[in-house]
Amino acid sequence: MNNDNQTTKKQPFIEIKGISKHFGDFVAVNKVDLTIFKGELFSILGASGSGKTTLLRVMAGLATPTEGSVVIDGIDMTHIPPYERPVNIMFQNYALFPHMTVFDNVAYGLKKEKMPKEEIKSKVAQMLELVKLSEYSHRKPDQLSGGQSQRVALARALVKQPKVLLLDEPMAALDKKLKQNTAFELVNIQEELGVTFIIVTHDQEEAMTLSDRIAVMEEGQFLQIGPPSEIYENPRSKFIADFVGNINMFAATILSKQTNKIVVNCPTLGGQHEIDFDGSIADDIESITLAIRPEKIMIDNQLSGSENTYIKGIVEDFGYFGNLSIYRVKTSDGNIIQVSKQNRYRSERVISWDDEVYLSWEPSNLLLLTE
Amino acid sequence: MSTVLTSMDATFRERLWKKFIVFIPYLWLLLFFLTPFLIVLKISFADPLVAQPPFTPLFQKSVETGLSIYTTFDNYLYLFQDSLYLVTYINSVKLAFISTCFCLMIGYPIAYGIARSPQPTRNILLLMVVVPFWISFLLRVYAWMGILKTKGLLNGFLLWTGIIDQPLELLYTDTAVYIGMIYSYLPFMILPLYANLEKLDIRLLEAAADLGARPWKVFKDITFPLSIPGVIAGCLLVFIPAIGEYVIPALLGGADTLMIGRLLFDEFFLNRDWPVASAVAIVLLMLLVLPIVYFQKRQNQELLEQQ
Repeated sequence: MNNDNQTTKKQPFIEIKGISKHFGDFVAVNKVDLTIFKGELFSILGASGSGKTTLLRVMAGLATPTEGSVVIDGIDMTHIPPYERPVNIMFQNYALFPHMTVFDNVAYGLKKEKMPKEEIKSKVAQMLELVKLSEYSHRKPDQLSGGQSQRVALARALVKQPKVLLLDEPMAALDKKLKQNTAFELVNIQEELGVTFIIVTHDQEEAMTLSDRIAVMEEGQFLQIGPPSEIYENPRSKFIADFVGNINMFAATILSKQTNKIVVNCPTLGGQHEIDFDGSIADDIESITLAIRPEKIMIDNQLSGSENTYIKGIVEDFGYFGNLSIYRVKTSDGNIIQVSKQNRYRSERVISWDDEVYLSWEPSNLLLLTE
Repeated sequence: MSTVLTSMDATFRERLWKKFIVFIPYLWLLLFFLTPFLIVLKISFADPLVAQPPFTPLFQKSVETGLSIYTTFDNYLYLFQDSLYLVTYINSVKLAFISTCFCLMIGYPIAYGIARSPQPTRNILLLMVVVPFWISFLLRVYAWMGILKTKGLLNGFLLWTGIIDQPLELLYTDTAVYIGMIYSYLPFMILPLYANLEKLDIRLLEAAADLGARPWKVFKDITFPLSIPGVIAGCLLVFIPAIGEYVIPALLGGADTLMIGRLLFDEFFLNRDWPVASAVAIVLLMLLVLPIVYFQKRQNQELLEQQ
């Protein structure tokens, strides 16, 4: 590989142009455009049936698009069969060959390249070292745990040194603790090899921790593409705000529009709010949604005096999760606001059911959603 | 104390039941397989007699020696002395082997095609494989006689199209026997193969393609190796009945089509030489059982080595 990684990084590496995939009358992917850069860790996040796996299969060559084209590293790959594409896929349930050992599974792709035996041996050994499975090379897939199978699948796909690695729900079958470790391992391996990763997942946490950029997909189309923080802090629509993380959403009416600023009235949040807004908004729209994430609201049973804006409420329900507690607070107009609070001290004044509490927030944490 | 007793009683009764249930199929095999086998084995060690039954008894009573056991290996020696038997065994194995090969070659693509077709079509195709069983086996063999005879359907058709100008001699030849065998046993090859191929995970094939294997290599590396249990099951289901087949060679084969089944029939009913006929049957059984036992032992060994 070349050394000028920095300069090539922003070159479009994978270009998906107007891809659609129909199954009879059903449109799985609907005229999708996407550009992914070299060395990027890109996630496609969507619920099941959103078309994300179909798009992945189109990129791998396992499905032919109804229209559109796939260009990888400057070459049109739309009609190239999967066995000639510089792309490898890690399947959701790993699809390890049950009649072959771990070594043979990993070596399979290299054998198809007619690589000399000695070279295969050293490359497979190297790859098994990377995924920490050197001692398991003679095992059969049914003698491996879920995490080990996942790493064999990863090694088998990576040993071919693909230009792009496609991962279909790479961690869906792992338990929570293993997921976190695997996420870090995946990122490390990706950085070490510099391969472009495209991950398809329904798990927003997985997408958040792994990716440089996320595309949120729904009904065969992308709703928003951007870095995880942008998707989380500046969701473009109510759907995305709700799909990625938790959020409180309340109806509000527009009082006045100024340049970069909008004044709205939101009864649930205690009346008038002035919000920075540099997007455009149609003149005839009067009602709008005001949103705030649960962790961006402070909760206390007394006022400290430094609050800018606050409202009163009554704790209707709360859940203790160890590291944090989640409160459901009923406001004076009967709406429920969800608030999460870090449990920062071992002994803390406990806020409990039916307590009267004050909710406060930084005005900049309020979010305007038009769609 | 009494509750302990009754609970022990319950587990004891349960265990007895379990043993009893396992025992029933063994009893069945004991009665209807092992017993006849032992009787045949016994007869194979006797001399023929012109009497009722037509063989010497195993236990002989006489005034001088009291009770004695009489056995002879003559029947087995006779089998090896007369080359007719050896030729017939070889011929039977050859016929069964070639039929099995053809069944596999024809049956595999059919089973694969059925397993890969969409669900509603799949059921119709499977039904079509099974439908011939609804017609008597004998009738179907007679139908083949009608097709294959000199003035039969096949020759008529070939003459009409002008491919041949002389009718082919098909009926009462080995070719006719092969056609009949392959036709009759094909479903026994297709069904176990289908059951196996239908379970095959498509993603494995996709994974192989993704790793650079062309369609033919995917078949060679993944599909076929994973279908071997089905291939073995199908081959055994065809080979074992084919080797002892009587009806098809008798009806479609010529006088020179030597098959064990026919030889057995002749020894029993024409020569009335029960001891030799029994020896023929025992040798045939050994010919079938020993390779299977050996095969299974090897398979178990492989399984053990894997663990």
